[in-house]
Amino acid sequence: MTFREPAWRVVARELESSLEEERGTGERAAAYVLSPFGARMNRVLLAGSLSPPEPIGRDASQPFWRSRLSDPTGAVAVTAGSFQPRAMTQLRSSNTARSAIVVGKVHLYKGRDGTSYLSVRAEALRTVGEGEERAVLADAVGQTLDRLDLIERLSQSPPVPAETLASEGVPAPWIAAARESIRRYPAADRAQFRQELRAAVRRVSGVALPGDTSEPPPTVQIRREPPPPTRPAPSAAERAEESLLLEFLDQVAEASLDAYADRRELLARVGSRGLGPDRAEEVLTRLEDEGVVEEPIVGKLRRA
Amino acid sequence: MTESEPAEGPREVRLKDLRPGEGPVEFVARIVTCDRREVNRKSDGSRRALLSGLLSDGTATVRFTWWDPPREGVERGLVIRAVGPEVGEYRGRTEVTFSWKSRVGLASAVELPPVDPAEVPELKVQDLKPPAEGFRVYARVARIAERTVSVGEERRVVYDGLVADETGVIALSAWTDFHLRVGETLEITGGYLRAFRGITQLVLDERATVRRVDRPDLPDPAALLNAPPVSMARLEESGGGPTASVEGLVVGLLPPSGLVYRCPECRRSLQGGNCRVHGQVEGVADLRARIVLDDGTGAVTINAGRNETERLWGVTLEEVLARLPERPDPAVWEGELLETLLGRRLRVRGAASRDDFGVTIQPESIDTTDIDLEATAERLANRIGGGRA
Repeated sequence: MTFREPAWRVVARELESSLEEERGTGERAAAYVLSPFGARMNRVLLAGSLSPPEPIGRDASQPFWRSRLSDPTGAVAVTAGSFQPRAMTQLRSSNTARSAIVVGKVHLYKGRDGTSYLSVRAEALRTVGEGEERAVLADAVGQTLDRLDLIERLSQSPPVPAETLASEGVPAPWIAAARESIRRYPAADRAQFRQELRAAVRRVSGVALPGDTSEPPPTVQIRREPPPPTRPAPSAAERAEESLLLEFLDQVAEASLDAYADRRELLARVGSRGLGPDRAEEVLTRLEDEGVVEEPIVGKLRRA
Repeated sequence: MTESEPAEGPREVRLKDLRPGEGPVEFVARIVTCDRREVNRKSDGSRRALLSGLLSDGTATVRFTWWDPPREGVERGLVIRAVGPEVGEYRGRTEVTFSWKSRVGLASAVELPPVDPAEVPELKVQDLKPPAEGFRVYARVARIAERTVSVGEERRVVYDGLVADETGVIALSAWTDFHLRVGETLEITGGYLRAFRGITQLVLDERATVRRVDRPDLPDPAALLNAPPVSMARLEESGGGPTASVEGLVVGLLPPSGLVYRCPECRRSLQGGNCRVHGQVEGVADLRARIVLDDGTGAVTINAGRNETERLWGVTLEEVLARLPERPDPAVWEGELLETLLGRRLRVRGAASRDDFGVTIQPESIDTTDIDLEATAERLANRIGGGRA
């Protein structure tokens, strides 16, 4: 029984703060990003201001676009490629900033030097009026507060028993996610985050974003304690190559019947984006050495 | 030679009185469920046929095992008379086995013993799950409507409705006219349960007994039918029910949505001009939307028919057909429908059922709703608390 993953209602700041992931086991297992604030996300629903899209990659036959969605708490990258044709059309439909809602899958890319890069691959996207943006943001703030309250009640000593929470109608997956957040982020400053939600509430009540005309930064990177470097840290260019390769690996795997990415297809795709076969092999080998990617069947790749 | 015992035949019993080791018995019961399989005989490796399932006579439900059953004709709903079965016990529950030593024959439904309500246990509506049988239930009629169906050649009137107690609501399907009226409080005995399109129904036939009782404590039907929305996570856990109510945002559409072609015989959607049952047919155009509604805790599929789809979309089937020559691709229409619906806040009420892919609701009503932003913002600000407002 695999039910559809719910679209977690979150604000951008929560995504920016998410550094932990959970990979399911078994075939076609869903991957989740865990936030410090009680969300265990595979899919999210976001509302905010969407920046003009920029193309990433060079090959016109494999278009891939990226925008940034900002709300009063932060910003997150939203991407769409040829595997999401409808979302891509919507993403490209405007060259000015606009209010939008986005439904998409969360992807967390972790570099070797401790950086994380989170993006949302859009499944569906729509330009909306300001009222609708505010209403979806209101949902996000409301459910975020629900989750923060839940974490608080589970952190009390003794914690509120699960049966009590269930009888109040708290969804079982939320209880599990909250516990996992507490475990994985023992030092998270949830009180601070709670106050950061005020900016979003002001937006819900109709206050315009103060002077939000500056371009958001092209990427947001969150650092956590870098592990002692065992080898020279990769350059930005190398990281970009890895990111590109993994991005395509996910896409090819997602589109394939057996959930593996075919090696040749992957190389052809990254090749069309300027990553030549020799270079791609080098990057792949590095990723395999690091245990990020594995090849359990010759010619068939997947994330380890 | 010892004193000869009186030549006593098997004693006729009700299933609730069946006990192991109390001499030969016979009983009449209905087959509630049955499965046929074959087992390997250890001695020579040959295959031996076996039927197993549940029997009920309205007083109790027991497991049965039937060795070497008739090759065909034994199915759910059949009433049988069993003479001389072996009566055993497994984990405290009585079981019967039919072997070469027993005689099993067909019986008529009228041979089933009449059930005195006082003899059977009372169940609450929330505990009515197949294959429970042999119960009595106290409930209020929340809705009742008459419907004509064809059973083979015959036309029959069925009374469909909903009954409820303080624990829940269940669909009712009465094949006899009990003159049910909305608001009445009933004691129902002799009903049985079945799952119809994933929804549990309490079925009443001529053997069932319905008695009006004075139970002012049972909840008001209007309150039951207008219960506030529940979280989708909860619905995914419970599996739904005949009167589920949810609220969420549209996050997607499932195919086929938009313009579809249906079989003129059975109204199934066609795939490549073919009906699953009737083969190649001339399709009839229709509009539908399989809406994915999500409340952040879970997701449900709403099967909206033509009227609901036209109302939500603001486009009629006629308009689509008129513009079809210039836009023949159904995917384009589906895209436009999604573009209209994505992010819309809907409140949906209807019968919910669950399968391997999640919960589906056949909507009785779909309403678009909005939230009051000012009031919501104030409430959220208060919830954040602490420090400056």
